[in-house]
Amino acid sequence: MSGTSREKFLWLILITVIVVLPFVTGSYVVGVMSFVAIFGGLALGMGLLLEQAGMFSLAHPTWFGLGGYVSGILAVRGIAPPWLGTIFSAVFVGIISYVIGAPLLRLKGYYLACATFGLLLIVEITMGQLGTLTGGNEGLMGIPPFSIGALVLETDVHYYYLSWVLCLGCLWLLYNLMDSRMGRAIKSFSDSEVAAKSMGINVPWYKLKVFILTAVMASMIGSVYTFYLRFMEPSVLGFPLLVELVTMIIIGGGKTLYGPLLGAFVVMWLRELIHLSLGGFLPRMSAQVDALFFGVIIIVILIFMPGGLSGWTDRLLYLGRRTFGKAGE
Amino acid sequence: MRGLSKHFGGILALNQVSFSLEKGSVTSLIGPNGAGKTTFINVVTGVHTPDSGEIHFQGEDLAGMEAHLVASKGIGRTFQLVELFGSLSVLENTMVGCHTKSRASMLSCGFALPAARKEEKRIRAEAMASLMLVGLEKRAFDPISKLPLGERKLVGVARALSMEPKFLMLDEPVGGLAAHEIKNLVELIYQLVSKGLTILIVEHNMPFIMSLSEKVIVLNEGTKIAEGSPQEVRTSEKVIKAYLGEEV
Repeated sequence: MSGTSREKFLWLILITVIVVLPFVTGSYVVGVMSFVAIFGGLALGMGLLLEQAGMFSLAHPTWFGLGGYVSGILAVRGIAPPWLGTIFSAVFVGIISYVIGAPLLRLKGYYLACATFGLLLIVEITMGQLGTLTGGNEGLMGIPPFSIGALVLETDVHYYYLSWVLCLGCLWLLYNLMDSRMGRAIKSFSDSEVAAKSMGINVPWYKLKVFILTAVMASMIGSVYTFYLRFMEPSVLGFPLLVELVTMIIIGGGKTLYGPLLGAFVVMWLRELIHLSLGGFLPRMSAQVDALFFGVIIIVILIFMPGGLSGWTDRLLYLGRRTFGKAGE
Repeated sequence: MRGLSKHFGGILALNQVSFSLEKGSVTSLIGPNGAGKTTFINVVTGVHTPDSGEIHFQGEDLAGMEAHLVASKGIGRTFQLVELFGSLSVLENTMVGCHTKSRASMLSCGFALPAARKEEKRIRAEAMASLMLVGLEKRAFDPISKLPLGERKLVGVARALSMEPKFLMLDEPVGGLAAHEIKNLVELIYQLVSKGLTILIVEHNMPFIMSLSEKVIVLNEGTKIAEGSPQEVRTSEKVIKAYLGEEV
């Protein structure tokens, strides 16, 4: 399971870089990297559903937003402290995703995409209309910072560490999962549902379980996001976030687990780069310029490296290993 | 099986097919294209639900049971179109076959708990043993896409054997196999049968069937037209007619 020594080495490097980063860089880098963790963690689960489990679900922004809203509202009203609210909202999202997933996951391919997209729009509009509860379209305000007992997370660095712990926790969990009998079962039904069933795999039930697992992860990340920004608005769980996640998955490549995280890293820093270089003379068009750039990048990636960046590096590694011997494992 | 029928729309794919299989025997199911052989396997394994009829296996009626439950009762199968899992390696494909014999839950797998790791090791060893049976242990870490069709079929057999089935159905196992691979498969089948496995083979390769089977069942247009030893079936007039047409 936890893999070869080479994998352990890569994990060690990744964790070291993330731990050390705030000590050697400024608040700007820490800020961007926090969002890499948040959106990367979110893209991990969605990439797994789309590319490995073969479930075309677009509901991820919904789980993210619901997790944020529920824990945010509980904290604003003083019903539950943030840590308890995070757990509570995760359970809540787990139940909702079960209730919604049970009928919806009978749909396949684009039909599932349509249905979950509908869900996304419905939840976004509902959050805007429930004014007294959610703060309506102006957004939910007055959210306290994340705290566990006397420990209050106040600075950006605190949230940087919290979001990376959560993101890497999700990555680690999914790595273990995909390298186990469950992971093989998940990949098997996306390849051949009839063969998977004939091997004794209860396909509908497993689909539902992965769906719920990734929804719960998204919910917890959403909670952290809310306590970090101390603000939540309906547009956060709408179409733009969905496009952003899909962009990350395509650029990073969803056939590998780390791909969407890599995609998040590239997307967030490319955006910063675009804003830094073009912000001077195109200050009022940043969103459109982003869309233009990422549109071109997606097309280029889809044509020249359909497996995304991670698919491309995996292929290089494979070719390298084949050329320089050391075949097999 | 008794009186097994299956319609697809207006087409009667299986019409009141009845026969029984003896434990530890090899039976072949033959018939012209479209005779309903694969449909038969699909109905028994729960991929399709029969319109009527009963399937008795170890004192239970399997008719209409869901496919994954049928598999857990100890019924394994291979596929005519192989149906391997393309995103998994040869060994991993075979490991999927161990699914019904392992218990680790999604969370214990996710957190890599000791019990799950131990089970993973056991599954790996068992799958490797199945690959050795079909002689593919050297291919264990290759992706499926690198294997020729014949070896893919053998992976399908290894995957089904990993389930440790009591009843195994092979859907056209020798199509695409080289002569020495067929010979190995025949030996393997003898070996499995001597351990008490019941095997049903759907095949077009007559020498293969005639040499292996104790009983041959002939289907034509969804109806059983003959049943008996290879010799009896070979000389049956109905069978000759079904294959060659009427004499003019």
